[in-house]
Amino acid sequence: MSEISHGYLPCGIEYGVVTLPRRHVVSFQIRVLAGASSEPAERLGLARLVEETLDKGTQQRSGQQLSDAFDAIGASRNSGTGRETMTFTSTVLAEHFERAVELHAEMLRTPTFPEDAVRVNVDLARQELSALEDDPQALCDKLVGPLAYGPVLGRHPLGERETLERIARADLDAFWRTHFHCGRMVVSVAGPVEEKRAVDVLARHFQGFGGAAGNGRETHSVRFSPSRTHHHKDLEQEQISICWPGVDATHKDFPVQQATLGILSGGMSGRLFTEVREKRGLVYWVSAWQETPRGAGMMFLGASTTPERCDQTYTALLREMDRLSQDLIQDELDRAVTGIVASHETRGDATRSRCAELAADLFFFGRPVPPEEKIAKLQAVTIDDIRRYLAEHRRDRLCVLTLGPRALADPGMKAGVQEGGR
Amino acid sequence: MTNAADPYTLHRLANGLQIVIEKMPDVRSAAAGFLVRTGARDETPEVAGVSHFLEHMMFKGTSQRTWREITIDFDRMGSSYNAFTSEDRTIYYGWVRKADLARQIELLADMVRATLPEEEFKTEKNVILEEIAMAKDNIEHVAFDFLQEKVFAGHPLAWPILGYENTVGPLTRDQMWAYFQRRYAPDNMLLVVAGNVDPAEVIGVAQELCGSWKPAGPQPKRTTPRIHRGVDVMSVDRFKQQVVAMTFPSVGGSDPRAETAAAAATILGGENSRFFWEIVQKGLAPRAGAHHLEYTDCGLMLLFGACEPERIEQLADAIRTQAKRICRGPVAAHEVDRVKNKRRTSLAIEGEAPYYRLTQLMDDMEYYGEPRTVEQMLAEVDAVSSETIAGYFAAFPIDDEGHLTSVGPRDWPAAP
Repeated sequence: MSEISHGYLPCGIEYGVVTLPRRHVVSFQIRVLAGASSEPAERLGLARLVEETLDKGTQQRSGQQLSDAFDAIGASRNSGTGRETMTFTSTVLAEHFERAVELHAEMLRTPTFPEDAVRVNVDLARQELSALEDDPQALCDKLVGPLAYGPVLGRHPLGERETLERIARADLDAFWRTHFHCGRMVVSVAGPVEEKRAVDVLARHFQGFGGAAGNGRETHSVRFSPSRTHHHKDLEQEQISICWPGVDATHKDFPVQQATLGILSGGMSGRLFTEVREKRGLVYWVSAWQETPRGAGMMFLGASTTPERCDQTYTALLREMDRLSQDLIQDELDRAVTGIVASHETRGDATRSRCAELAADLFFFGRPVPPEEKIAKLQAVTIDDIRRYLAEHRRDRLCVLTLGPRALADPGMKAGVQEGGR
Repeated sequence: MTNAADPYTLHRLANGLQIVIEKMPDVRSAAAGFLVRTGARDETPEVAGVSHFLEHMMFKGTSQRTWREITIDFDRMGSSYNAFTSEDRTIYYGWVRKADLARQIELLADMVRATLPEEEFKTEKNVILEEIAMAKDNIEHVAFDFLQEKVFAGHPLAWPILGYENTVGPLTRDQMWAYFQRRYAPDNMLLVVAGNVDPAEVIGVAQELCGSWKPAGPQPKRTTPRIHRGVDVMSVDRFKQQVVAMTFPSVGGSDPRAETAAAAATILGGENSRFFWEIVQKGLAPRAGAHHLEYTDCGLMLLFGACEPERIEQLADAIRTQAKRICRGPVAAHEVDRVKNKRRTSLAIEGEAPYYRLTQLMDDMEYYGEPRTVEQMLAEVDAVSSETIAGYFAAFPIDDEGHLTSVGPRDWPAAP
């Protein structure tokens, strides 16, 4: 059994705790409400550089000493920068929970951003940008971002070559001073930790860290660009990425969108896998997924195929979207819902998954959402709901991006056409 | 059989199918999987890729189900399922809510008695050829396949798991059927189950479903490869990075020194490692690492990095410098402790979820012939020390030339 609690510390930190009494490990995530969309336009890539450089030195320790201190408690750590937030995640044996929080507090509160480390990380980011050229799917994601979301929310965390060159230590320091304080922090904890212990530990180590005002919770406007863009690149396969606006994670139709995605791509009996791969043998990789920044939703279809089959693949992808509202049957919907419900139980056996789920709830809803509430909403979705959702979110305004040796032959588009090129 | 301290149940059906069960009373789910002792190293050169293609065909129909019914039945349970093929094994698994375990085992057991329908064989071949094309766009995949091709040259471990266009393309259903009949026999397979399960019930289900499968008798003995030294270069203009990989002979997964070898690789090229601070954080390359690659009967110490092509000489020199340094010792006690602490956490994480346990149990059975308890694994972690690492490097040095492969736009290193 688990208990879920939620609240705010006097210092301004929003927290949630899932108490899982019989576990041996604790997972926690500290989310700072600032990401790529918080960067000055002429310093793109700055947020990720802050995240990468925070653990390269504090007022008490060098970067290596800090890493050694984390390793002394066997912390399994991760961090990342997204469009809106930065996350710092750690899993430790339960007895090391407080020490892990203490070390995170040291890292987040007293970074020194050593000049050498900043210079190296800027150069590494530039090299990572160039390495994206050897990862076609990741490159596609970078290229489609601005078309899907517009110039601010569509930024890539790695930034751009020319903006990285402008970034200096003072920029990291200024970004940190502006965005790192308790009011912008949301902490999720899962494991054999009761609310009182978690609250005490967080308060002890973060009290007095900047202002308590709850900033960073605004939503960014999405500027979707229906378009068709081809980027030429010498590849074996053509990458196809299609997107269109959906609903955000708090929208009443979000469970309908989840079920729709499950029908398209939830398991191997999903329509895309069945129709595009298994029946026609057009692709190895085909998928549908969603991204949900706060206050927005974007639906994606993606596939990669050899150039001579890309038109056929593209047509097959659109056909599956079109016919979904015509011939959907109850069994497909049931399977899609069962897939999502069952994964709550299977993956829920892992403490890290419970922490990630809580963190997502706090980010989107500002409260923990009991699993039974989510499941009830999913189970209430009907075929008529999906037909209505599809009618309200028609695919007549698409952003289509291809990357590879040849452009699509037939636009198949009703909206504006734009040919890019590299 | 089971007791409170030992959560494992081992059983063997009369036809040779081995069954391993781990009871995890605190979880809500269960995972089941078949391991078939077959992979790329069991192929002949003209059918390279057949093991992996066959893995795809297991989803394409049985005497009881069409391919469509197989995937629908998985999804009706909400299973998290998949399959994968390696050099020496092929695995099919499903992770479900505990109430669905018997159904999950039944479906997996039906799947691995596939009929390989001819029409599906033709369609799926196109999927495999697309997978091969996709792999060619990924520099790390290309570099790893090239490394195995050269370091194991002349041995089946040199074949890429996906095969080649010119072996998968002409492959016939009859060739695949012959391979399937020979390799997917119960005496060459293992059923592993982990989760909140009743072992007696699992054994009963397995007996009913798999008891009539016909054994095939002894399989051809695998040969241990000779590990080559030298330099091999693949020049590919369209890649933007240069990848360098150095390999050295090491112990296999069943060798008692495997834990030490893995710890040494982590100290050299894991997180917070010597490579991280001396190569990545010096700005030489965004990626540099070390892995201990384990096969059933041999192993490789792999040191690798990827960088801008003009920095490749510097990167290779830096990797060699660190390799010599660790090989000639000493490794400090605090470096060893760091790795051991992290390993303890990862064992605790692995112990939480049935799917993680399933994969660990499969490794244990292949490498040790029996499951290892958490206490045994911790004891092996605790036994690693500066001295065992020094002993490992004395037996398996990495301060010589080893084997070097380079993939990227530069024709580097130039032929002498």
